[in-house]
Amino acid sequence: MSLRTARILTSIYLALALFFVTWPGLKPFARIEPLVLGLPFSMAWIAGWIAGSVFVLYGLDRVERRHRDGEGS
Amino acid sequence: MQQWVVVSIIIGAYLALTLTIGLLAGRKSSDSVTGYVAADRSFGLLVMYFVTGASVFSAFAFLGGPGWAYSRGAAAFYILAYGALGMAPFYWVGPRAAALGRKFGYVTQAQLVVGRFPSRTLSALIAGLSLIAFVPYITLQIRGAGIVIEAVTEGNVPFWLGSLVAYGIVILYVLASGAMAVGWTNTFQGVFMVIIAWSLGLYLPYRLYGGVTPMFEQIMETRPEMLVPPGLTATGEPWSWGAYSTFIIVSAVGLMMWPHLFMKAFTAKDDDTMRRTVILFPTFQLFLIPVFLIGFSGILFTGGPSSADFILPYMILETGLPAVVVGLFCAGALSASMSTGDALLHASASVVVEDGITQFVKLDDRQRRLLMRILVLLTGATAYYFAQDAESSLVLLLATAYGVISQLAPPVISAMYWKRATTSGVLAGLLAGTATSVFFYFNPDLRPFDMHEGVLGLIVHVPVLISVSIMTPIQNEKHLAGFFS
Repeated sequence: MSLRTARILTSIYLALALFFVTWPGLKPFARIEPLVLGLPFSMAWIAGWIAGSVFVLYGLDRVERRHRDGEGS
Repeated sequence: MQQWVVVSIIIGAYLALTLTIGLLAGRKSSDSVTGYVAADRSFGLLVMYFVTGASVFSAFAFLGGPGWAYSRGAAAFYILAYGALGMAPFYWVGPRAAALGRKFGYVTQAQLVVGRFPSRTLSALIAGLSLIAFVPYITLQIRGAGIVIEAVTEGNVPFWLGSLVAYGIVILYVLASGAMAVGWTNTFQGVFMVIIAWSLGLYLPYRLYGGVTPMFEQIMETRPEMLVPPGLTATGEPWSWGAYSTFIIVSAVGLMMWPHLFMKAFTAKDDDTMRRTVILFPTFQLFLIPVFLIGFSGILFTGGPSSADFILPYMILETGLPAVVVGLFCAGALSASMSTGDALLHASASVVVEDGITQFVKLDDRQRRLLMRILVLLTGATAYYFAQDAESSLVLLLATAYGVISQLAPPVISAMYWKRATTSGVLAGLLAGTATSVFFYFNPDLRPFDMHEGVLGLIVHVPVLISVSIMTPIQNEKHLAGFFS
């Protein structure tokens, strides 16, 4: 994956996360059931976006690092 | 032995350990301003991770988080939502700021902004705004420490004494060791906080309801409105989507603009360390889940504390936990308060001296270090004084703090990423944004869609910055080359 693609995808993920944890994106998910791991659905939904960002940022870092190594910097 | 005596012994041991770590850490630091403010730019991944995590999660998260979940239900989720969003852009911004810091010797974010936009007024303005936001924030941390100690010792250690001892210790190690002490004590305190939060957050629902699922099922039957965003207001009315969403936005924008957090970019050992801290930060954020569980466990509990912020100590004392556990919890809450308080004290002194005073008076390295130490003492004493007054208008100031701090984002970002920005544009934007934010703070009924005043400030700030910049001449090529090479 090119550096540019990785950066755009990460930015899209972050923009989506912002959309889905605020109005209006959160509205359809602002409900209690089903409980996820015992937590109300909306709480698990928000936590899921946060947990997902770890993987997205990790992926970005791999691409960025390969690019930096490639440049020999 | 009485319970409160056991608790006091544990707290005493915890405080002694913190002090020891804080004082020992300073022996590794060099005797210069860079050493005091930026720890000789030497923090590794473990320290950076906990420094950042522990300084973000303060008494507000540890006491306020459960308090919100308990009294306002799902409204508390906003605290969960903003952190990862606010931190992620730092993956790029952080290393870039660090590179400029190494190149030009910056140790504060105002130096970065003023390096690009030379103006003593701008520098003093940023220092002033930071201080305005800092003092109430420190006051809140001191109150948190005092409240916890007074509550768990059943009033045998009064508020004034508990807060004095806890913050006396913080001031001692910040004075002696600067950034090094903040780093190493936060590592210790961060680990402590996480362990305490998870064990209590899982234990309380289990003990009172038989588990997390049964707890939420019971709340769902009797108080379902508590579990659906945007939750409730402090008075129990439904909260607005406008306020909920803009609280997330202003906190995400403001988060890394807090000088004590932004300055971490200048303390990191290398860029990879900083990037990895950003990647791992959301894992620290998830620590709010058990914190909320503690608050939710109080909703159906009979009785209740006088103020929602007391829900954590209240639950601990009411569920008949052994004294040792109460003591450990107390140390965890103190960790949350002190680990933010020390970073705030340290950063406010650094900012006032580096960005305020030295802009107008010439001082050598030794004098600056001395002045910073005097300021740590002065700021600490001022905040301690305000903390004694439960009804002071500082809560009013604190609510504006994020609005004020988020106004630093456009200048910082344009300093690093927008060539066309000019000094006049940045200055005009900052003044307009701050004025708007203050205006809507004092006139809440005029806010469109119940939006946070900080976001309204930004809505005015950014267009002013852009239009004034475009109307004024671009900075000269040579100057820009230093920032964009």
